[in-house]
Amino acid sequence: MEVIAAYGTILIVLAVIFGLYMTWGVGANDLANAMGTSVGAGAVTVKQAIGIAIVFEFAGAVLAGGNVTKTIRKGIIDPTAITSSPEILVYGMLAALLAAAVWLMIASSRGWPVSTTHSIVGALIGFAVVGIGPDAVNWGKVGKIVASWVISPLIGGTIAFLLVMSTRKLIFNTDNPLKNAKKYAPFYIFLVGFVISLVTLFKGLKHLNVELTAVQSFGLAILIGLLTSAVGIFFIRKVKEDPEADKDFHFASVEKVFTPMMLFTACSMAFAHGSNDVANGIGPLAAVISIVTSGGEVMQSSEMPVWILVVGGTGIVLGLVTLGYKVMLTVGTKITELTPSRGFCAELAAASTVVLASRTGLPVSTTHILVGSVLGVGLARGIGALDLRVVLNIIISWIVTLPAGAVMAMVFFFFLKGVFG
Amino acid sequence: MAMQAPAKRDEVARNTGKPPGNSLSTAEKVAGWYPFIYGEKSMVAMSTNPLAGLLRKSPFKPIQQHMRTVYTCVELLPSLFDALHERDLEKVQQVSSQIATLESESDLIKSHYRHNMPKTLLLPVDRKDLLSLIHEQDALADSVEKISQILTMRDMVIPVAIKTGLDDLLRGTVEISHQALTMIEELDELVHVGFSGKEHDKVTRMITGVRKSEHNIDKVLRTVNRTLFGVEQELDPISVIFWYKIIEEIGDISDHAENMADRLLLFLSK
Repeated sequence: MEVIAAYGTILIVLAVIFGLYMTWGVGANDLANAMGTSVGAGAVTVKQAIGIAIVFEFAGAVLAGGNVTKTIRKGIIDPTAITSSPEILVYGMLAALLAAAVWLMIASSRGWPVSTTHSIVGALIGFAVVGIGPDAVNWGKVGKIVASWVISPLIGGTIAFLLVMSTRKLIFNTDNPLKNAKKYAPFYIFLVGFVISLVTLFKGLKHLNVELTAVQSFGLAILIGLLTSAVGIFFIRKVKEDPEADKDFHFASVEKVFTPMMLFTACSMAFAHGSNDVANGIGPLAAVISIVTSGGEVMQSSEMPVWILVVGGTGIVLGLVTLGYKVMLTVGTKITELTPSRGFCAELAAASTVVLASRTGLPVSTTHILVGSVLGVGLARGIGALDLRVVLNIIISWIVTLPAGAVMAMVFFFFLKGVFG
Repeated sequence: MAMQAPAKRDEVARNTGKPPGNSLSTAEKVAGWYPFIYGEKSMVAMSTNPLAGLLRKSPFKPIQQHMRTVYTCVELLPSLFDALHERDLEKVQQVSSQIATLESESDLIKSHYRHNMPKTLLLPVDRKDLLSLIHEQDALADSVEKISQILTMRDMVIPVAIKTGLDDLLRGTVEISHQALTMIEELDELVHVGFSGKEHDKVTRMITGVRKSEHNIDKVLRTVNRTLFGVEQELDPISVIFWYKIIEEIGDISDHAENMADRLLLFLSK
């Protein structure tokens, strides 16, 4: 108690700094990866991607990020054992933040495909086990989270597979693919707006005190879907047939129709990413703030102030603008094999899955779900060549990240405990 | 097909950053065409984004580019025999060396392709089938080269009796090779629709067309061989043997084209 009273301000400042550092890393790394597919497919330029990211990442974090933030903040660790020494939880949260951010930095410089989500969860578990005790970890919840890490890419893959099949049936395998592409494009764009809105708004946004019944949610989602569709139709009208390109590759004009469609999935990817990964940085920050401002109340029954979500969004955007845009450039140039129609299906599948996970409060890895979605497209025989060694790399990175994050968090925790007492 | 050369040169210039010109060796030209190895680093993705390493370059584009080179080679056959007919030995040499260059370019493309097909790739078709396909394509160019080699190592004279038959044979061979080329050009559309639907039917018709052409060429082959047999007593025996060999090699070209069609049928049926 006394520690919190004495060092409260410093601890909050540290929390904000570490939180910004972490979200900055997320923006520089993760978000660039999520948007890279749209850039690579030629749907948006890097500048446009940054613009989209700024708007939609924020929106995702504020509107849909509440549940995952809650999980990271108080869902994984059960602090009943330390109600008398709340500062331990504060140190732990700070340590976890720092550990995850440092691990992210190390991995990025080495080119390892690590997940920010896995890092922070591993770090939290690591601290909890040594700082409080193995019983303090909510192993049931952790089990659910780990299961979601395996299942979410599979779901993304399945949705992507089905979407690709539908585009084949409705557009590519028909007598007049271009006409059908223009005919069905509005429905696909409607799907983007509808699915994302429905998952986000279903039965209201609790942390923003917005109440909605199921029927109202559907209605609003349909409205938003129609709105996005209307905007989409405006873009699609502008697409002109290119007979020269069609000689080379019969579906060149059809792909041109899908290019503006990827604009919408780029927005949805940014939104989805914001809804899930911002929590990685601000969940611990929210915990620290809650404990300190409540004078040491470890159970964190206070509501999370919205400004913390804004801080998280800012950090991510800063990361994207400073470093992430270079990553997007490199990533974009390398992902040229994903044509707009494939990219659309993969991104819509990934965004939907991530938003669904965010709704249920499960922190997942956006990048890995996107990989799963792309694999789903590949399994539908829709892509030339996919190197499966990447999947092996990802699995290895899972196995390495959890202990690495945990160990670093343990080290930082003891360091902080030593400094502040 | 001289018009292809400038486009290729531009591509090379773009990929290697060097100004176009004859200063590039064949290896450099091929390397410029196929940055098939992902980035500068080969195997594992060296970026934090697994997607960059996941999406490898299309394995179908190199096959298409290879076939275009092979077809350019086959197209030179009629002019080779024309030069021979006109007894223009210098031109024969010239065309032969063009053929040789094209054949070694296609060899390079093939081995570059083989080196970049690790077993860990998830492909929409069987990896072995792809490798067999490019092998068959390459065999086409090899046959053309063998023919030109015979015609340069010996000063041959076309027997009058088989001249028309030979012309028919050459025309048919170039035609079936063009059919095979058109078939291969459909590969990227096929991938796009997952080897199903209308594209599937279209390519199946092309395959049947190639089979028919091969059957017709077989008939012409028999006629030409029979004609040669009719006059072989009047000709120098060693030359006759080589003419039989040349006719056989020409026949092999359409056989390889048919084998290519068979491979494509495997893609469609799996």
